[in-house]
Amino acid sequence: MKAEPMKIAVMSFAHTHAASYVRLLAGMPGIELRASDPDHGDRPAGESGGASLAAELGVDYVDSYEELLAWQPDAVVVCSENTKHRDDVLLAAAAGAHVLCEKPLATTSEDAEAMVQACEDAGVNLMVAFPVRFSPAFLALKEQYDRGLLGNIYGVSGTNNGKIPGERAWFTDPALAGGGALTDHVVHIADMLDALFGGAPATRVYATANDFFGGDPRVETGGLVSITYENGVSAVIDCSWSRPASYPVWGGLTLHLVTDAGLVDVNPFAQRVDGFSQSAKNALWLGYGTNSDELMLTEFLSAIREGRRPQPDGQLGCRTVRLVEAAYRSVDTGGVVETTRDSARA
Amino acid sequence: MGNYTVGLVGAGGIANSHLPAWLALGVDVVVFSIDGAAPALVERHGGGRVVESYEELLAASDAVDICTPTFTHRDLVIEAAEAGKNIVCEKPLALSEADTAEMIEACDRAGVQLYPAHVVRYFPEYVAMHDAIADGGIGTLAVQRFLRAGSAPAAPWFSQKELSGGLVMDQMIHDLDFARWNAGEVTQVYATESPSLREDGAPEPLTAQVILTHESGTVSYVTGVWSRRPIAFQTRFEVAGDAGLLQHDSLGNPPIAFNGSTDEVSGYQPTTRFSESPYLTEIREFHQAFLGGPTPRVDAADGLAAVALAAAALKSIETSAPVTMATNR
Repeated sequence: MKAEPMKIAVMSFAHTHAASYVRLLAGMPGIELRASDPDHGDRPAGESGGASLAAELGVDYVDSYEELLAWQPDAVVVCSENTKHRDDVLLAAAAGAHVLCEKPLATTSEDAEAMVQACEDAGVNLMVAFPVRFSPAFLALKEQYDRGLLGNIYGVSGTNNGKIPGERAWFTDPALAGGGALTDHVVHIADMLDALFGGAPATRVYATANDFFGGDPRVETGGLVSITYENGVSAVIDCSWSRPASYPVWGGLTLHLVTDAGLVDVNPFAQRVDGFSQSAKNALWLGYGTNSDELMLTEFLSAIREGRRPQPDGQLGCRTVRLVEAAYRSVDTGGVVETTRDSARA
Repeated sequence: MGNYTVGLVGAGGIANSHLPAWLALGVDVVVFSIDGAAPALVERHGGGRVVESYEELLAASDAVDICTPTFTHRDLVIEAAEAGKNIVCEKPLALSEADTAEMIEACDRAGVQLYPAHVVRYFPEYVAMHDAIADGGIGTLAVQRFLRAGSAPAAPWFSQKELSGGLVMDQMIHDLDFARWNAGEVTQVYATESPSLREDGAPEPLTAQVILTHESGTVSYVTGVWSRRPIAFQTRFEVAGDAGLLQHDSLGNPPIAFNGSTDEVSGYQPTTRFSESPYLTEIREFHQAFLGGPTPRVDAADGLAAVALAAAALKSIETSAPVTMATNR
């Protein structure tokens, strides 16, 4: 069998994860990589991006998406601002490219559904960039649960806390981000619980939020979201951007589960060397271990090569977007949002 | 005039924490319990004198300390108040706001003091956290998380919600009280609990989750666990403000640890090693107030507010909807 090189295009460097994906893809065999970041000029001066970041990352660069897609890539990685995901994914699908879209898939379920439909129509894969479900810690949890070693799960507490995303101004611009901490940090844990519970639909969502972190932000920066699933399990997600600017790393993600076997803590980022730096006048946390981004990209590429649908797919992305929408509705109304089985599965 | 005498009512779990505290303060203790456990309690702690009735206890005491199951608190407190005694009452003060209000009214009428034993306000790690917040150490308080997990309590009355209030009212009330102490009055409460497993008679629910929105805008999350598999008692908190955050895990940073010792401590009560018993700190503060000293850090109004929060959480669980709190306190 002849191993054709796979052509991968990166649309936008708006999301800081783009650099991580480019570095990892560049190191993988059988990949040709090209990128474009046409909106770089619209972003504040000083934010990395465009041709200069491409040069720094050692990736070929073109000036427009038109040119990028005319290259006929096999797959596209979309790393644009959240509210641009829809247009960019539709462009990629129309060009016949498989798509890996940065999370959240979209900021409205209408957009998310349109993206799923466009990719279905074009016969291309749509995968959402949820790397943490590929972490060995989460996979170990899932394996133990699937084997019945934990018995039932009765309650979950999830945390996905980070700093205010200061490297990119658009994260706190509602027009580009679609929202704040609720938009950014509910979906990872929602994705993991979806994977754990085999897609069990959510039945009820409640959320409360505030904007105390980050001075005078234009979006919510602190929030708690309760999700009750059809299987009876309730989960609370703390999605707050509660890490101070001086925190040694970007933030983290944890799960705490109450099970028949006792309590389970899952911390995919726990593996680290602790230290202190005189020059930084701060703690040093040197993470080590498996790179979940790499495992996620490998799944994306393997699925294309093997002609199968990767997980987490666009449908799952839709389910997580609907939960975030429900959370906003709950914050707006102060009430519980019933998420019907139909809409949760649509 | 003899020595100061406290009448300790009940000889169960919490009496084993309160009796040594009173004894350490040099107070005379008389103990009454209807379950016949008083002699063993007194013997275990090397102090206290068993009496045969509540009337005898009241007649012999300057103050009473009620360590009985929750459903008995109301009547015992009212009777003690009418006898003119200052009162320490184990948390929760009662199973409903109405009962609690009645108890407070009886104490006010009799001119006696009533303090609920919300002992978490005396745990040194929680005190350090509360003081740091109050000093502005983490800026404006934004998000609080609390976990309290232990083995399901063995005494059968705990497993009956109508007697104990269940996990939310009996155990999680500690953190509901603390969340309010840090962040002030609450405007909305939302809660869930794990599905019923009642057929095997185990205390339920096994876990519950409560979300509070405070008047200040701060949001709080409290989780409680009554594990059926025996586990080491564990508490955690994380409080985050716009200028920093504080975290604690009772199983983290042990001052002494053994690799090779196999016995794991299990239980449903916390232990604090290498610092004064928080029960002693608490009882001393109440005792001093009874003697005319300063007002304790927790009073009957706080006890009522805590019961109201727990009751709202239970109502939220029952109705699957958030409960709006009256804000006229």
